[in-house]
Amino acid sequence: MRLPDSVTGSFLVALGAAAAYGGYILPPVPGQPVGPNVFPLVIGCGLALCGLAIVFGIGRSFEEEEELVPFEDGQAAAPPPQGKLYGLRALLPPALLLFYVLAADRLGFVITAAIMVYVTSTALGAKWKLALPLAVLSPFAIHLIFGKLLRVPLPVGLLPTPW
Amino acid sequence: MLKTLIDAFALISTWEVIISMFAASVYGLVIGSLPGLSATMATALLVPVTFYLSPIAAIATIVAASSMAIFSGDIPGALLRIPGTPASAAYADEAYAMTRKGQAELALGAGVWFSAVGGIAGVLSLMILAPPLAEIALSFSTFEYFWLALLGLMCATLVARSSPVKAIAGMFIGLLVACIGIENPGGIPRFTFGLTDLFGGIEPIPALVGVFAVAQVMRAMLTPEPPPLPRRKFGSIMAGQWKLTKLYRWQMTRGNIVGIIIGVLPGAGADMAAWVSYAMSKRFSKEPEKFGTGHVEGLVEAGASNNASIASGWVPSLLFGIPGDTIAAIAIGVLYMKGLNPGPTLFTEKASSMYAIYLMFIIANILMIPLGIAMIRVATYILLAPRSAIMPIIMLCCAVGSFAIGNNMFGVVTVAAFGVIGYVMETNGYPVAAMVLGIVMGTMVEQAFVTSLIKSDGSILPFFERPVAAILAAMAIGALLWPVMVWIWRKVKQPQTAAATTR
Repeated sequence: MRLPDSVTGSFLVALGAAAAYGGYILPPVPGQPVGPNVFPLVIGCGLALCGLAIVFGIGRSFEEEEELVPFEDGQAAAPPPQGKLYGLRALLPPALLLFYVLAADRLGFVITAAIMVYVTSTALGAKWKLALPLAVLSPFAIHLIFGKLLRVPLPVGLLPTPW
Repeated sequence: MLKTLIDAFALISTWEVIISMFAASVYGLVIGSLPGLSATMATALLVPVTFYLSPIAAIATIVAASSMAIFSGDIPGALLRIPGTPASAAYADEAYAMTRKGQAELALGAGVWFSAVGGIAGVLSLMILAPPLAEIALSFSTFEYFWLALLGLMCATLVARSSPVKAIAGMFIGLLVACIGIENPGGIPRFTFGLTDLFGGIEPIPALVGVFAVAQVMRAMLTPEPPPLPRRKFGSIMAGQWKLTKLYRWQMTRGNIVGIIIGVLPGAGADMAAWVSYAMSKRFSKEPEKFGTGHVEGLVEAGASNNASIASGWVPSLLFGIPGDTIAAIAIGVLYMKGLNPGPTLFTEKASSMYAIYLMFIIANILMIPLGIAMIRVATYILLAPRSAIMPIIMLCCAVGSFAIGNNMFGVVTVAAFGVIGYVMETNGYPVAAMVLGIVMGTMVEQAFVTSLIKSDGSILPFFERPVAAILAAMAIGALLWPVMVWIWRKVKQPQTAAATTR
């Protein structure tokens, strides 16, 4: 999802302008010159200016150093199979979290968690021999730590835990 | 003094503190050693657990986990050439070269030993620097706080190894996120879009978990699995470390001092300390040609440096509530939650708690030596765990942990949203650390700014009138203009070098 600087920059200009406008229309505190509107106004303007600078490529010369971070280095850069939809795989984790939000109350923690674990594990290339036991056992382990020991009220749903 | 020290000992010698410290150490060592899971992420995922602990035990877990994770990032760095945490990236090549030469024990032993020494040096700096600074800070008004916060934010943008403009934009995004909610000078809902969930604002901790943990899982979806670790037998790990200490005592001291300074600077943390110290070590070395071929000197200096910065990063956090790095940003959240609100009065009113923090840092760094050696020996087995088994657990912890912070599903939505934001920002070269600091410090910056403006009746002049404020202002503006000056200097220099090459 590497976007050109002109796109991200323009987005920041729009976001900054929206923030500044949103701050501008906030009602002032009666009898006080500065209220809740000042800070968003300043930030919005600053953000829009930065966005403009990015669109025009100011500060680009500093960026080459970023490649210095050999974060996942060492693995010979075998280019992964690139399909058109390959990049969308990155959206799987947040999608699963939203699924958790929507489903946990109805299905209960254990079932929802098991689905999340299975999908994530398979997406990362695990065979079912690993993913299935993991999906069955890990929700119980997490429930034991958070639900039992730390008393987080995790949703019960369809399948109650044995404790 | 002696009484507070005894009180502090009493505070930390409970079973709860001891057990949570030990457990957090093991946890930090494991997470830090797994490639792709950073020390910040380890700490962020710990926060929901700290909710249910006593204040001192909660801080103990943060202290132990962060110190251990920074060291244990060296392990896969040396054995696989994949740094476990970004703080080890600076010298992973060097350590790996040593392993290839058959000196893995020496490289890893240097990692443990000089990390522990660096950590203790960092605590000493915290003990020495914090109380006198607290004295000075007592006389600070909102003007000073405003400039100090701004200076912190500017430092965060300066040290990011990316375009400063993008870093500043990231900082503004963070400040904008902090604008959301009802906690503003007017007490009116701002940018809430009618959603009641947004009235309380965006909690920093779920945002941090999203940016550092979920975004990492997202990246893992697109990157190939790291290679497995070759099995090996280790000889004595601590052998020869004392000789190294004597041989490289100056390098070690320099690393400690650089680490402390970088740690104290708001926004710059362990990764920066390691890069700077490694570069410095090479620059001042008597045998720079050996660097990169498996030479231990750089490891000594950088290892001493990154752990020193962890402890000294607490100085601005405890004094001003301005985080020294992203880990300290999390620690500040925990401090507030536990009623230890950062500020200069903390050192007078809660002196025993402060001493307890110092003691815990020292204990954590001593504990690092035996636990670290054990970790090195079992690392081969831990690193066998495939990514497809670890990442799903991380996902579950993200979901449950963010829910636990407020017993509210909106926390999980926040985590997911910030995962996407963090991922998109990182892939496009916007440093997320700057945004995180913006989120953490937003409310404070706004409060100082608006209160100052009200006091000064809309005039700018009082912002520069008090001497300390003027100095801080000059530093903050200097930090803002620094990239411009570098840019101009490069422009001037470029024609010269171009002319030189054509000749």
